[in-house]
Amino acid sequence: MKYFIKIFKESIIIVILSSLIGLVSGSVLTSNEEILYTLPILLLILPAVNSLIGDMSTILVSRLTTHLYIGTIVPKFKSSKRIREDLIGLLITLLLSLAVLLILAYLIGVLSGVKIVNPFLMIGMISLTVLIIFFMLFLLLFISAIFLFKRGMDPNNFLIPFITSLADFLTPLFLIIFITIFI
Amino acid sequence: MSTQDTKGRIIKETFPSEVVSIIGDILAGIILTLLILPIFKSFLALILMIPALLSLRGNLSGPFIARTSRDLIIGDFSKRSWIENVLATFALAILTAIFIGILSLILDLFVFKLNILLIIHFFLIPLISITLTLSISIPFSTGLNYLAFIKGLNPNNVVSPIMTAVDDFSTVFCFFLTLIMLGVP
Repeated sequence: MKYFIKIFKESIIIVILSSLIGLVSGSVLTSNEEILYTLPILLLILPAVNSLIGDMSTILVSRLTTHLYIGTIVPKFKSSKRIREDLIGLLITLLLSLAVLLILAYLIGVLSGVKIVNPFLMIGMISLTVLIIFFMLFLLLFISAIFLFKRGMDPNNFLIPFITSLADFLTPLFLIIFITIFI
Repeated sequence: MSTQDTKGRIIKETFPSEVVSIIGDILAGIILTLLILPIFKSFLALILMIPALLSLRGNLSGPFIARTSRDLIIGDFSKRSWIENVLATFALAILTAIFIGILSLILDLFVFKLNILLIIHFFLIPLISITLTLSISIPFSTGLNYLAFIKGLNPNNVVSPIMTAVDDFSTVFCFFLTLIMLGVP
């Protein structure tokens, strides 16, 4: 039961902490409901935007962890060709997926009759939010994965729960800030 | 496998899965907004639990998938390691459910003062819906991981985005099923 104990010990605190962040982000969303209602389509696509950032972060963590375990990147805080390939590959995927998401959101808005207020501003705010969070998380994940790996811990157990909850918290927060500034 | 991934391969393997994930999440969002929230009188109390339950994907299912992918790639995958991985995930799920229940109950009693749900509901709703969701997610993601691996794809790139859609959809579905089973108002 060594593997069981390792997973359980490494995960328990971060899983509890992530659930707490989840409850806090729900409260942030509820208390700023009126601001978000100024752009109704945003509420409909918010789970998909959260997932997009969460997915990219999860892929990044699992790739970084695998690289560290098989030795394709060294556990040092320095750039390498492997890291740049991952960053560019995931960034292009993120941009393509964002384009699909925005097109789908527009189609749903048109079909469901949900009013799309100021579409260009909305696209700008969503894109800026996604890109800012992606670069923030990339840097944070790279540093954290190496730090944890060097201490003999599995980055998957710590970083995936933490980062998805953090993304779920940061996405509505950034959107609320941008809506407050621009609208 | 992962060592040879170029940016082109990352995009080629990840982008289609991500599109599936986006469609699944938009559908889950529509079902949640149209089916669950307007039907149940207790929806104000249920809203407290939904974000935490949806974060289950990242907290439990995501690491389970990543560990399975890594074990397959580095050659550590075995029946024993998989069973221990599953047991650890379920043990963490039960603790998470109890934690969500306690926190939601505290928020309900002392902050929002809604008094719509029974105290037992705050524990049973997360516990049953998380267990049901994992019972769908674990075999599905293991099968998908294995399939991606034997087809020569990098499971890290393919499985997580597809499972996001499956997990979010099954979370919403199992949540709905739990509410019906428990007769929540």
